[in-house]
Formats: sequence, structure tokens, C-alpha cells
Amino acid sequence: MRRWARREDERLLTGRGRYVADIRVPGCLDAVFVRSGVAHGVLREVDCTAAREVPGVAGAWSAADLMDLPACPHAAGDLQDLPPVPRTVAVGLSPEEAVAGREWPVLVKDRVRYPGEAVAVVLGEDRYRAEDGAAEVTFRIDPLPAVVTPSAAAEDSVRLFDGLSNIAFEGSAGRPIDEAVLQGAAVVVEARYRQQLLMPTPMECRTFLAVPEADRLTVWAGHQMPHRLRRELAALLEWPPDRVRVVVPDTGGAFGSKSALFPEYVAVAFLAVRLGRPVRWIEDRLESMLVATRGRGQDQRVRLAADAEGRLLAYELTIDADVGAYPHLAVGLPMQTAWMATGPYTTPQVRATLRSVLTNTMVTYPYRGAGRPEATVALERSMDALAHRLGLDPAELRRRNLIPPASFPYRTPTGRCYDSGNYAAALDLALTTLDYDGWRAERARRRADPAALPLGIGLACYVERSGGEPGGLHEFGGVEAREDGTVVARSGTSSSGQSHETVFPALVARTLGVDEARVRLAEGDTGEQPQGVGSFASRSAQVAGAMLVHACALLVGRARERAAGLWEVPVGEVAWCDGAVHAGPAVMDLAELVKLTGPLRVDDRFAAGMAFPFGAHAAVAEVDPELGTVRVLRLVAVDDCGTVLDPVVVRGQAFGSAVQGIGQALYEGFAFGEDGVPLLAGALLDYLLPTDAEVPPIEIRDTRTPSPGTPLGAKGAGESGCIGTPAAIVNAVADALRIADPGLLGTPLTPETVWRAARAPKLPERPV
Amino acid sequence: MKPAAFDYVAPRTVREAVEALGAGRDAHVLAGGQSLILEMRLRRARPEVVVDINRVPGLGRLSVDGGTLRVGALVRHDAFEAAGAVPGPLGTLFSLAVVTIAHPPIRSRGTMVGSLAWGHPASEWCAVAVAMDAVLELRGSGGAREVAAGGFFHGPFQTARRPDELVTAVRFPLPGADTGAGFAEHRRTHFCFAQVAVAATLTVRGGLVAEARIGLVNAADRPVRARAAERALLGAEVVLPPAGHRLPGGHPFARAGEIAATADAAPVAEPYAGVDYKRHAVAVLVGRALRQAAEDQRSRAAVHRGGHR
Repeated sequence: MRRWARREDERLLTGRGRYVADIRVPGCLDAVFVRSGVAHGVLREVDCTAAREVPGVAGAWSAADLMDLPACPHAAGDLQDLPPVPRTVAVGLSPEEAVAGREWPVLVKDRVRYPGEAVAVVLGEDRYRAEDGAAEVTFRIDPLPAVVTPSAAAEDSVRLFDGLSNIAFEGSAGRPIDEAVLQGAAVVVEARYRQQLLMPTPMECRTFLAVPEADRLTVWAGHQMPHRLRRELAALLEWPPDRVRVVVPDTGGAFGSKSALFPEYVAVAFLAVRLGRPVRWIEDRLESMLVATRGRGQDQRVRLAADAEGRLLAYELTIDADVGAYPHLAVGLPMQTAWMATGPYTTPQVRATLRSVLTNTMVTYPYRGAGRPEATVALERSMDALAHRLGLDPAELRRRNLIPPASFPYRTPTGRCYDSGNYAAALDLALTTLDYDGWRAERARRRADPAALPLGIGLACYVERSGGEPGGLHEFGGVEAREDGTVVARSGTSSSGQSHETVFPALVARTLGVDEARVRLAEGDTGEQPQGVGSFASRSAQVAGAMLVHACALLVGRARERAAGLWEVPVGEVAWCDGAVHAGPAVMDLAELVKLTGPLRVDDRFAAGMAFPFGAHAAVAEVDPELGTVRVLRLVAVDDCGTVLDPVVVRGQAFGSAVQGIGQALYEGFAFGEDGVPLLAGALLDYLLPTDAEVPPIEIRDTRTPSPGTPLGAKGAGESGCIGTPAAIVNAVADALRIADPGLLGTPLTPETVWRAARAPKLPERPV
Repeated sequence: MKPAAFDYVAPRTVREAVEALGAGRDAHVLAGGQSLILEMRLRRARPEVVVDINRVPGLGRLSVDGGTLRVGALVRHDAFEAAGAVPGPLGTLFSLAVVTIAHPPIRSRGTMVGSLAWGHPASEWCAVAVAMDAVLELRGSGGAREVAAGGFFHGPFQTARRPDELVTAVRFPLPGADTGAGFAEHRRTHFCFAQVAVAATLTVRGGLVAEARIGLVNAADRPVRARAAERALLGAEVVLPPAGHRLPGGHPFARAGEIAATADAAPVAEPYAGVDYKRHAVAVLVGRALRQAAEDQRSRAAVHRGGHR
């Protein structure tokens, strides 16, 4: 029989996966939202009358028709991934103040603030009829000028909320840089970078099915945090949480985009309850491109100072971050960039300041990497520029500054405490795997041959954070041994494609010493596991994995106690081995023990420490300077996520994440019309994703430095690729073109961008 | 992304198809559905009736008659993936161009004639048809007529086809063995439309260019025949440029590229490709397509000589 790589594979790869859209509920209505084609404007009127006459339409409502729809809750005040902005920030703003007066309505009441914002909702017997109805809703919006970049919006010449600044929050990390240090430095690299807005682009867009029954509501949704979703829905409905159940079936990816409660969800849940009928919203690709959360979106300025030997003296990062139209989680998210601004180096002075700015775009939200790619790209592009200025090999410059292994735990100037690491080992492995010296020789050969396409080598060292922030570093769950010999592992996490069904049962089986096939995972259902935090911030293996190991230890303790009671021996004489209790010649496996002594189940909460995965990525790229096309010839990703639970799964995470990093570097990005509306008429022909044909040879390697923060030692593995890869690729292109101004290479590196950069002034020739 | 309601007819003859098109309703022809289905799902196309010609016998024929190739309305793109599917340099040109069209599954459904009838400015086949002096065969309620590809394209998605007409086939004259073909396309990913592409053939006699044909893809609001560049090449000595990605400055192919970019192309700006960049890309790709055509002609001539030794 065919052996599948993962437990999920047999189901998912043979078309037997069951996603929300596959769930058939009799009498279910399909919701379609009527959306603004304007980025910013005043809504004058909405008329749903004609829509209600369309055959098969069950109802159509504008905000005025549904005045009592509750507002969408702001996550900023109750962050699970990020804490409230630290009180040490010397400004008078808190997230509540950022949110105050800037309510995000479920349907537009009077002002449209982002393109695609919903002005009405239509329910139909199926999606076809609902769309027929939506086409009959008429509305009028008087356009206002739109602002789509944080730098432009920060000027406040166009305000999204009358009487309030677009700057919703200001924050900083680290002490101000001593100007004397900058003045005394041998070299100061100054540059500006724009981290473009990106779409998370899961294969399955958002889904939400609400089924009311008597006084209860069951919600089926592709979601990363079902327990939070349940709490929020219950609060909205003013119900006790136990009347709401959230179930997460197979989910086709999330990458951060499925962890919130969105306006559409509120409308659907509310209408389902109000009508007493099942209602679902299955977001389609065009909707998703218009109104799903965005990631990144930072305008950055840097100053990086070093002495003549290349020792870093000071680093300053200034950020204008794009929050989108409503202050949501993205208000505090750029603090992640600020806290991680130090990177993997011993730079004594680091300072990051930021402004979180409202713009006329859909809200920004964590997207795989969430603040850390932004920090890495700014620092690592500047490191390569610094190496060129100093005439130093970029690898050598990094080596001179990497935090040495003996320095951990390492407290950074920007307030982080890195748990463990061997950064130089990761860099060395990346260089060896790449054949750095061989490619340097090839680069030199090509520079001497006018017929050859120029080639460049780019490096990026990174350190990131996984697990979450204090207050969100715990997980709930447990382990249950059953009479039939099976073991159920419960966890408050929720898989959207991260192989939990494979990894967690294997971990529990290994820990208990039982047959893996007898262990089953229960997660993603608040009816089965009442408490949970969820899956984000690369936390599932690190935090929930440790929780399961902890629960196994509790279960073993109980089993030994019971055996001691049965056999009337001191518990100290009962040993646990291979899934059974032993005392002298007596042996009894778990199933037998449960049969004799009754159900055995432990549930608990376990908190882990924050962890700091790290690594080094290296890229070789060839540039056709006549057309500006970039061909990545080789990509090496060395990631250290501590203890590896399943090498195949970790490799898959690293590979997929690296491909998303390639997307950020070369392909993905929105172009906006002058009216602030993204140009997406061609959908995924306009916003380009890397496809299989664009994926270069990628070599994934790892080093393994366990985290001291949990007994398991695992760190997060999900986000590293897209953190290290973009800077490595951009650095490779900059190296190939030898351009003097690194800021010319704005991402995505479209052919036109690269072609223009190729014609810009070159760096002076240096003997290598 | 669900289409609005529409009626559907599946005629069994060309006459029935033409009757359905001429019934006074907004009708769209469905061949491969490569573009139409997407446009309908986006509700940018809302035909009252879809006329599915897939059951009309005979439209799937690909035939050679003397010096002419005839491609029926249901011949799928993938029929041209093998260079030998069509004789001589035209087969080479088709095989080079066709692999730049979408993905294999789409190429197994979409049709050459459908692409011509749709008239997308970034369509490879439209520029190939214009360059190669193709002739479209149309049947309408008024009978049959023919339109040269050079006069068929009026703008983006606008053609000389009347609403009641079905494009039944397209004919191409077959160039001889003294002709070589080249095709150069530039796009951001394998999946997306061409930012610019160029189809070129060179007919060489006595070491000199006897005829040049250059078609520009996505270099204007419609396919472009680069006639100024073609004229500049006539009589030029064919000297293969040295290896390398860049043509020497004064090389006739580089000059032709510059002329095509400035005199023939009229690029329309699009996201991530401004007018200046597209002009520049036209110049580069014309040079590259001509180089490839010259190389193809040379190897074809060598085989030809070898065969007569």
C-alpha cells in the first residue's frame, strides 16, 4: 500500500478533503456583498429594493436597513499575537486611543474608506442568485481624494476620519542614537526602502458558514483561532460562549489572514441568527484580492554606521507603517519590526521609531513573517550596501558582527532577549552549501566577459521571534487514554495546512511509547476542546507541542498512581515504559489500566518561553540587463528552529515560505490607479504569484539549536523562509548590477525596475 | 464570480451556428472558452445566448493545400506544439509561439481561431497572423467572406467580425525553405500575459534579406506588423551577430529593433510596464527574434544543402 508522507495526505490528495464550501446544509443561503468601487468617498444612498425582487433572493440589506448590526470588534485592544504596545513607550497613545472614534462598521454607514468595503449584503438561494441580486443594488458614492501609502497619508492632507489624524499610533524601541557615534563612524549607509503591500493568498479564500439551531449557533470556518472567534461571536450576540461552537474543517491555507473576525463574518452570523436559517459566505478570489487582509506595507529609512573594520556602531530604523483604513491589529504590528530591528548582530546602539498610519486600503494584518521580514529586509539590504562601501566581503562583514554563541541569552538594545543561537554556524553552512567561493569565481569570470549575463550573490542573516508575546505564550489541551487502546490528543491549536494531524499524534506516541496509529488528534472544534489560543506566530509546535509533552507526563503520573493502587505498591516502584506500567514482573498497558480503573484523561494549560529561530539565506541571481529580468539560479535556506519534530513537515514549511519570499522579492505587489483603487482587472494576472515554473532550485538545510524555553526545545518553523529570502534575492540583484544606490531596487523587482536600476550609476570598481 | 443567466445552444452545422448568431440577441461563440468563460464569471461578458460550436463537424480540421495552411475554428492551441505539425518554417514559428500561451491544460482547450476572434492585444496568434499575411474565413447570414489579418484587428477586443458572423478558419501562406523563423517573448512569470513579444521571419537569398516579416505582440492596442523595420532590413547582408545577450550597436537587427520600437510600436502603459520600457523591450526583442530567425534559416539551409549532396 502507498505510504503517504502525512496523515492528511490520503484525504487531501485524493479529493476527499472537506472544506467549508463542501459542507451541505439544507436550506442554506449564500451571502454576496455589494462592494464599493471607490477607495474613499461619501456614501449618499443605497437602494436594495430591486434586488429583493430578483427570483431566488431571500433578502438584501444596507447599513440603514440593519442599523442594529453590531460593529466589528477591534483586535488591537486584545492582541493574542502582540501584547498591547508596551507602557514604556513614551507617548500618550494606547491602542484603545488609536481605535477610539475610528469604528469599523460591518456595512458602510456614511463613509467608504477602502475599495471593496461592503455597502450592502444580499442573501440568495445560491451564489448565482445572490450575485444576480447584488447586481440590482444601486448606490451612489461621492468620491474623495484617496491616500494609499503611509508616507502620503501621514501628511494628513486627506483625513480618513474627520477631526482625527491618520497617524493612529507612534512607538519606538531602543534609546535614541548618539549623533556623535554617527559622525565619528567610518561609513554610514543611508537608504530608503518600501516594503510593498502583499496578499497572503491562501488557495482557499475565507469561508464562514453559520448554522443556527434553537438557541445555539454552530459556525464552520477556515480559521486559525477558533476559540477567539467563538468568544467574539458570543460577545457580539450577547450570548454566553457555550451557546456558540466553532468548527474548523480542512482549511486551504491562512498565512495569518484567517485569525480575525471580519465584517463579513459578523453580517453572516447576525443574519443567520436573525433569520433562523443557515447562511454561508464563501469568499471568491476577486473579493479576496480586494478585501482580504494585506501584509507588510512599510516605508522605511535607515542609517547604519560602522567603523573602518566593519564593526557595527549604530543602526537607526524609521518606519511609516500602513495600517489600512481602520486601526486593527496592524496598529501594534510594526512594533514587531521595531523590537526585531537589532537582527542577529552585536550593534551596541539600535533605535527604531514608527508611525502607524491609516490609508485607503483594506486593513493590514499579520502575514507570514508579520513584522520580521520588514526588519530583516531593511537591515540586510543595508548590510550588503555597507560591505560594498567598505570593500569587505558581505559574509565577512556579517561574521564580524554576529552575536557569538556564548552570549545567549542575549538582551538586545531594542528590548528582546534572544534565547539561544549559533548564528555563525548557520551562515557558514549556507556558504558551504551554496559553494560561495565557486560562485564568486563565476561572478568574476562574467564581469570580465562582456557577452555574459551579470551574476550576483546575495546573503541575508536573520533572527525572528516565534511563539507569541507574553500573555499569549500558552496553550490548552490534554491527552486521554481510552478503553479501546486509543489515545486522544487535544489541542487548542488549529491547522490550516501545517500537518498537525501528523506531527502531534507522532509526538504523543513517541512520548508515551505507544503505537502512533493508535493516537488521534482532536483540534479545531470548540465543542471538543473548550479552550484554546490557536495557530499563528509559528507557535503550534513550540507551544502546543510542549503542552502535549507536558500532558503526557501528567498522564503517565496518573497511570503510575493508579497502578500503584491496583498492585498495592509504592508509586515509586511503578515504572513507565513503552506505553505500559511496570512493577517488578507485573505489566499492564494503558488500555487495560483504563478498563480496570475507569476513564483516564488529563487537561491542562502550559506556557512556553518566547523563542528566536534564526538562519542564513543565500541567493545567486542572473540579470538580463537589457530587459531587466531576474533569474534566480540557486537559493539556499539554512534555518534553525531548534528541535525538529518532523523533518519532512519542517522542510515543507521552509520551502513554501521561501517561495512566498521569492514572491515578495520579484513578483507580488499592487499597482494603484490615481483614484487609489488597485488595478486588479486581470486578478492573478495582475498580482503575480510565483508559480512552479518560477521556483528556482532551493536547497533547505538546518542547524539545530534547541530552545531553552520549553522542555521540547522546538522553535517556530513556519515563517523563516519569507523572512530570509527576500533580502537575499534583492542583494543578489544589487550585487549583479553593482548599483550605488540600494534604494533603487524597490520590490517587487519587476523587469522595468531592474532595467532602470541597471542604467543607474555603478559602484566604483574595486579589486576583489 | 458566477455568470449571469444565459441561454445555450449547441448547433450541429455552421449554418445553424450562424442562424443562432444572427437571431438578434447578444450572442457569444464558445470554442475553447479560454477567455469567454472567465469574462462571463466576472460578469464583464453577459451574453444572452452562448453558441457552442464544439459539436459542429469539420471545424477541427488542420489541412495543407498546396502552399497554404488552413486551420479550422476548433483546432486547439496544443496541435501546434510539435514543430512538425505544420510544414517548414511556419511550423517552427507556431511551435515557438504556442508554448508561451498559458498552461498545457488551457492549450488543450483554447483555439487559434478563438484567439484571433477575441483580439486581445497580448495575443501571440494575432501578431503571428498579421506578420504572416493570414486570411480569416467568415460565414454570416449574408454568406461567406474573407478578411486579411492585416485589416481584421481594430482595437482591443475589436475586430472586423460582424455580430452574426462565425470565423470558420484561418489560412496562412507557407513560406519556403529559404525562410527562418524566430519568436521572442518577455513576460514576468510563465503564467501571465506577454509584456511584449515578437514574431519574425527572414527570407534570405544570396546572403541578403529578401523578405522580413515582424509581428509585435502587446506593443499597441492591437497586433502590429512592423513594416518600417521590415523595410529597413530588405537587402541587408545577413551576418550572424557574435554570441552574447547584446547585439552590437550598428547591427542591422539592432537597427530594425530601434525602428520597430520608434516607428511601428505604439505601446499602451500597463501596471509595471510603462511606455518607455515597452518600447525598449520591443527593440530588444525584435533584435532577438531576428537573430533566432537568421539562425533558423541558416540551419534550415544547411539541412537543405545536406539533403542534396
